Amino acid sequence: MPKRLSGLQKEVLHLYRASIRTAYSKPKKNQINFVNYIHEEFDKYKNLPRKDFTTIEHLLRVGNKKVATFSHPEVTNIH
Amino acid sequence: MFRSVCRISSRIAPSAYRTMMGRPVIANTILAQRFYSANLSKDQVSQRVIDVIKAFDKNSPTIANKQISSDTQFHKDLGLDSLDTVELLVAIEEEFDIEIPDKVADDLRSVGETVDYIASNPDAN
Repeated sequence: MPKRLSGLQKEVLHLYRASIRTAYSKPKKNQINFVNYIHEEFDKYKNLPRKDFTTIEHLLRVGNKKVATFSHPEVTNIH
Repeated sequence: MFRSVCRISSRIAPSAYRTMMGRPVIANTILAQRFYSANLSKDQVSQRVIDVIKAFDKNSPTIANKQISSDTQFHKDLGLDSLDTVELLVAIEEEFDIEIPDKVADDLRSVGETVDYIASNPDAN
């Protein structure tokens, strides 16, 4: 039986999916930089307690804003 | 009598059809290809999905050696966590030039389910 995900967990996955999709929309040779950056950012909070809702919600807002910023076509690379 | 009419009409029909249509052969083949790509065969889809999965082994090089069938589950059999699964699905989306909606993607847990969804998606190519 697959484990059920909470609404908040799903939101995190949706943010992650949006991020990776944005990375794929960038020039081919820079995509890996974006993907690495996304991994770094998510890894930072890997050990956040799952009950720490306020922090997770805050990070979701920050993350969604970042995706919106980086999805502008003018942004072509990241370091 | 009737039979001969049939024979004649069937011989005439294609060419008459073509001239009536004006832009004959090309239009027909394009149409045919469109229809074809709308219905990718399941074997084709699963082969391409498996290829994408095999290429997706940066975290766990063991995937390349694993036997992948339609029963293979991303989490249980391939050892992918939820984020890896999302990433793999986006890679598969890229391969087939589609976008799997969040709601559907959240419920895809095995290779078979993914193949079924792509085969049923008319935009996949």
